Amino acid sequence: MPEDKNYYVIDPQGKLICHKCGVPLVKGDAVFGYLDNAFPVQLPVCPRCGFVYVPEELAMGKVLSVEKVLEDK
Amino acid sequence: MDFTERSTRIYRTKQLYTKDELESRESLCVHEQPAFCTAACPMKLDAREFARLCAGGDFTAARAMLERITPFPLILACGCSAPCAGRCRLGELPGGEGLDFPALERAAMRLGSPQTGRGLLKFKKKKTAAVFGSELFTLAAAAELARKSYPTSLYVRESDARSLVAACAPFLCPEDLDAETARLLAMDLDVHYSCALTPELFERESASRDLLCVSREYLALLSPGEEPDSVTLLCPGLGALARPAGGSGVLGALCDARRAGVSADRLAQGMDPATLRGEEGAVESRLYTDLSSAEASRRVSEPEGGYSAGEARDEAARCIQCECVECLKGCAYLRHYDKFPRILTREIYNNAGIIMGDHMMNKALNSCALCGQCTVVCPNGYDMAEICLSARENMVATGKMSLAVHEFALYDQIFSNTEGFLARPQPGHERCKYLFFPGCQAAAIAPEVVIKAYSDLCRRLEGGVALMLGCCGAISRWAGRGELTGETDEQLRSALSALGDPEIIAACPTCAVNLRSLSSAPVRGIWNTLLELGLPETASHAGATAALHDSCGARGDAHTQSAVREIVRRLGFALGEGEWSGDRSPCCGYGGLVSYANPDVASELARSCLSTAPGQPQITYCMACRDRLAREGAQSVHILELVYGAQAAQTPGISEKRRNRLLLKQSLLRDIWGEDVKNEPLDFRLEITGEARALMEQRMILDTDITAVMRHYRESGEAVLDAESGLLSTRCRLGNVTFWVKFTEDAEGYTVHRAYSHRMTVETR
Repeated sequence: MPEDKNYYVIDPQGKLICHKCGVPLVKGDAVFGYLDNAFPVQLPVCPRCGFVYVPEELAMGKVLSVEKVLEDK
Repeated sequence: MDFTERSTRIYRTKQLYTKDELESRESLCVHEQPAFCTAACPMKLDAREFARLCAGGDFTAARAMLERITPFPLILACGCSAPCAGRCRLGELPGGEGLDFPALERAAMRLGSPQTGRGLLKFKKKKTAAVFGSELFTLAAAAELARKSYPTSLYVRESDARSLVAACAPFLCPEDLDAETARLLAMDLDVHYSCALTPELFERESASRDLLCVSREYLALLSPGEEPDSVTLLCPGLGALARPAGGSGVLGALCDARRAGVSADRLAQGMDPATLRGEEGAVESRLYTDLSSAEASRRVSEPEGGYSAGEARDEAARCIQCECVECLKGCAYLRHYDKFPRILTREIYNNAGIIMGDHMMNKALNSCALCGQCTVVCPNGYDMAEICLSARENMVATGKMSLAVHEFALYDQIFSNTEGFLARPQPGHERCKYLFFPGCQAAAIAPEVVIKAYSDLCRRLEGGVALMLGCCGAISRWAGRGELTGETDEQLRSALSALGDPEIIAACPTCAVNLRSLSSAPVRGIWNTLLELGLPETASHAGATAALHDSCGARGDAHTQSAVREIVRRLGFALGEGEWSGDRSPCCGYGGLVSYANPDVASELARSCLSTAPGQPQITYCMACRDRLAREGAQSVHILELVYGAQAAQTPGISEKRRNRLLLKQSLLRDIWGEDVKNEPLDFRLEITGEARALMEQRMILDTDITAVMRHYRESGEAVLDAESGLLSTRCRLGNVTFWVKFTEDAEGYTVHRAYSHRMTVETR
């Protein structure tokens, strides 16, 4: 398993808050999956309910480019 | 029908074509065929390139080309019979003359600088050669063998080099004779002068040589009656190479010398000289050259001492550099990839064979508009559309087609044929004689036009006019999704049958083509009906000068093209017919779903349509064309807008198009069939800012997607607050896509500020 990739840093710490649980999101382990491929990553996660936040710049940047590469596989 | 994502871990391939099928397609593209002059040259001089170099004044490079093809370029230039000049297409123009290649060759030899440096270090070969006799063939053959690094001896009767060259090429002027003599002396060739060519000489020398070559005269002396083989030039009895009987001319002699060189190589390697010789001599070219814009011109006459540099450039500049670029002239897609159909086909074919690894041609094969223009403009009818479509079908069949490319369009078709679908007979008629099929794009872009057209047809046609709102299946057909196409065909067929298989009046040329394939009743365009009935009173007659953009659905359909022109004429417009109208019309960028797969190419296609009549209003008879051209800034109008005095929406967005279809259906149901459809209002306020709207358009996110995400938020309460911006972010997975909405909330509802999506799934570990 390749080492976990961290593509997003919560800066300043604590600026992202889970609206449901009222607690700050923390760096947590998540897995992106697409077309039977899995990528372990570190993303902001709610420590209580487990909500994983995918920031816009990540979704429209790295995630989109990886999607495009996999689509041509 | 739902689409599920494929897996990249399924390693399935299906050959796109057999070898023969591939070759039969590729052979239609003649772009790589040699120019006619080049094909005519048995010495394989790339005469087109030679002319280009001369026209550019690069005589040194031109001279180097001549020095490469023969050891005695001046002899060639002065004595060549120039079959190239005879095949030059300029000679076919009335009053025109073919390029004077021999004069240019002489100029290149005189004006170009000789090559400097010694070239590559060559090691002598172990096999040795002996050449006997002084004719041009033996002289050139000896030089060819020396160039091939065989230690070569030449035995001649003449007493010195100058008289040898003069005997072989008596037509040379003194300066050229000196130059070719110097060239002979510089060769690594062991010339034995003043030899008596006797049988004893041959007997003595042949014993120690591997390769032998004799003149005709010497052959007659050594082996009377023996003739060399016409291909290998080998005399089997004597074991020597010689020129066949009847060979004449400088070009023939130099050519035969080269062939003797090929035979010598084969013999030296102990192989059959008759096999694997490569292509020799002149060939026939299948190249196509458009001479329509070529101007006839006469040769620049060559003065006594040859061309000056300026004269040579002028003569060479007459060359039109024959090449076939007919498809690229018309098609922005081929220009974008800058590849000729043969190359593109081979790459697409190879793409289908990739089991693991990147499919580099996926985007290219999904960027073809499948419009068929190339087939019309290609002199051999190359059908790139068939190749791209079969490649898409192949990819769908093997699970290699990315769903992301066409998913939005496919769901649009499904929407048109479910929520947006309507099939009803005219009130008061159980079975109708006619059925109006406006097409999904007319309903999406110009619902008002559909309403007016339908009521006009109902009013003026006897026997009842049924209505069908829906998609003809073009989208799934273009996407190569046979399963959905089959379902759609079945749905439309049974709806048509329930309405009594009425005669179809289509308002879209592409729909008309597709409906013809599935309806037993006749299918015609609304333009034909309007011509028969006469234009309604709503028709505007305030025509002006305009350009008519022909739809790719009407390619090859002269009946539709002329009917539309007649209507446009009756509307008072003066049309300018350009080179790219009618069957040669380019695609607007909607065809083949290019606008989904490759928006850049779609844009280039639309701009290419507009470039033929810049600034002029564009009249179309396909709503998709109208929309695509308007998106590129053109003043475009659909013919039915002019006929019914109703305006289409100006470049409606993706959500507006769906809403228009739905509202059209509801308004027709209410006004014509008296059925009221209740729309469930949202139980919360939802406002979308301009910024969010623009992002949604770009990222293909529908209003309905946003609504679904917000409904999910109301149920789950799941969101993230960004304390810095104050925006909440929530998400919902809908089908194969996760949609994210950034919003603010108040007591009544939500204001959407941004929206984005990703296809990847995300889970915690």
